[in-house]
Amino acid sequence: MSSLYRSYGAVLASLLLGIVALWLVALIALPQLNMIERAFIYEPRGGAAIQSQVDVDRLYQQIYTLEYDIQVLRQQAGAGASVGVAPGAKIGEDNTAGSGLAVPSPSAAGTESVEDQIATLEAQVAGLQADLAAMEEEETRLMAEQEAASGYSMRNFTTMSGLHLRIFGMTLLYSFCVTLICFVVCYPIAYTVAQTPNRERAAMLMLGLLIPYAINELLRIFAWTMILANEGMLNTTLDALGLIDMAQGEPIRWLASNGAVFCVMVYAYILFMVFPMYNTIETLDRNQIEASKDLGASLLRTHLRVVLPYAKPGIAVGSIMTFMLAAGSIAVPGLVGPGLHPDWFSQVIYRNFFEAGNWNIGSAYSLALLAACTGFILVNMVVFRVGIRDIAK
Amino acid sequence: MTALAQQGREQGQDERRALGIDWGDVVLNAYIGLFFLYLFVPLGIMVLAAFNANDTPSVSDWRGFTLQWFTGATDEAGNVTVRGLPQDARFLQGLWHSLLIALGVIAISIPLGLSGALLLTRLESKASTLLYTLLVSPMLMPGIVLGVSTMIFWRDMFGVEAGLFTAMIAQSVFIGSYCMLMFMARLQRQDRGLEEAGFDLGASSFLVFQRITLPFLMPTIATAAVIAFLQSIENYNTTFFAIGGNWTLVTEIGARMRFGLSPVVNAIGVIFVAITIVAAVSYVLLKRRRDQRIKALRR
Repeated sequence: MSSLYRSYGAVLASLLLGIVALWLVALIALPQLNMIERAFIYEPRGGAAIQSQVDVDRLYQQIYTLEYDIQVLRQQAGAGASVGVAPGAKIGEDNTAGSGLAVPSPSAAGTESVEDQIATLEAQVAGLQADLAAMEEEETRLMAEQEAASGYSMRNFTTMSGLHLRIFGMTLLYSFCVTLICFVVCYPIAYTVAQTPNRERAAMLMLGLLIPYAINELLRIFAWTMILANEGMLNTTLDALGLIDMAQGEPIRWLASNGAVFCVMVYAYILFMVFPMYNTIETLDRNQIEASKDLGASLLRTHLRVVLPYAKPGIAVGSIMTFMLAAGSIAVPGLVGPGLHPDWFSQVIYRNFFEAGNWNIGSAYSLALLAACTGFILVNMVVFRVGIRDIAK
Repeated sequence: MTALAQQGREQGQDERRALGIDWGDVVLNAYIGLFFLYLFVPLGIMVLAAFNANDTPSVSDWRGFTLQWFTGATDEAGNVTVRGLPQDARFLQGLWHSLLIALGVIAISIPLGLSGALLLTRLESKASTLLYTLLVSPMLMPGIVLGVSTMIFWRDMFGVEAGLFTAMIAQSVFIGSYCMLMFMARLQRQDRGLEEAGFDLGASSFLVFQRITLPFLMPTIATAAVIAFLQSIENYNTTFFAIGGNWTLVTEIGARMRFGLSPVVNAIGVIFVAITIVAAVSYVLLKRRRDQRIKALRR
């Protein structure tokens, strides 16, 4: 700290410290902590308690309607008895029959049936009220349970349904496969570009890698969507070759498969693997490779014992970047045949935030993704024996 | 020893030559050729389809060469018959948003990166590795996590709804880390002797910073600004989550792709590809000229 003040002076050093503190606290730490806090606060919604609340409300309404009906009927019956206006009776008859009490008349028959109706309705009300008592009990129990459940808990994670858990697992597995494929495909390329003795050729190859790398991820995905679409390049080519007949049957729906997502993802993120590997292999002294060859090592052995161990930090960085991009990718699964293939975990996160509006579960899932990526970084650091300063260069 | 190795190497090469064709090289070259085909064929198809008069982007169903997706088309009465780029208000608006965000990101991330780098290169304590890890962590985080956490934080704490501002902040967080690494790389090559000389000659620490450190960092500040600008314009993941109902050029491209393919996107693609190729080629040429100049100076 003192060296800091000596180099920059009090004013400047304080300014630097202030800016870095602001960055660290307000932009990095607090948002993450806020997200983590939300992840551990269970926010019950649309659950059993709310359902039972809705049910109870509906029951109250039913009872109210029935009671209203009963009231109306009673009024009518009462009116029929005293004034002689029976429901449904014609006005002309009323005056004649109205004076006689309890005389069996059409209107009296009507009164009787009204009383029957009232009786059945009252029976219904009684039945509903019995239900209501039971349901209200249930409601208070559920509310109390909910009350106890909110606050800090692991429930956002433990309520992760089997489906979401499977998506999470598959996303990580697929991302790992993407990383592995990228590594296998890239290694010869990175090695050749880095170790080509011909400088002109190396520069040209480098340019060939730089241009697609610099073009936007979405446009690269777009290009592939064009190829894989139902009326796209791949199907029309197959059609022209006579392998499929588009006029006759259905074209092959490439976009609807996981394979399409996989292929496009490798395409989209492969260059993030090439460049870190290139950077380390470039610094390898060619003489080491020559020496290994001269000592009689085979090509495979030279790579296994000389080049690969040297390239470890590059491989670690490339794997971390590729894995992180693949696991957190929203563009590829969201845009390559959206809705046609099983979901990617990022899509589940998206839906929790912007469709279900359940931010706390969304936060919990984001945290799970973050934890998985951090875990992957740590495993890489151990396996390749590299430090954080080798990774972020 | 080296002479021996040289001799051995020549001998090995002779042996290989004696065998005729080196099949290893042939396979490797074929592989590299295939790899570059894999990289460039999709882009080529995308570029070609931008000039096709077909409504759905395609190269196999060719309906004639056109520039209408770039310029749009109007009939004699002046009514728009084909909606090209200039008629697409949302794309133009998105471009404007992208530029605004990018300028904001440069203004925020350069000071962040610069402060972080200056601090870390002079901080001689155990905490420096921890601080370094924390400051580069946004780079290693999935973009969506960054976007999500920024969006929630600003709404929970300050009631700021997701939009251009939160997108700019979310991008600055990790672009600041990129800038910091660039500045650190530069500062590691700095000759401390110059600063010491400044102090010995009686300059204040502020004057030393202003006259020695800052000018030394100037080229990197320019490069970092360019990189920050590009990163910001290109970013999709973080922006997509942090921007809410608003949009940038790139998120708008994404939104269009959801609803099916449009040749206007191809037209934008062509512009992107053209700018990229020009930039990449001029970068390589400039670098080569500089290397040659340095070589000439060394001689």
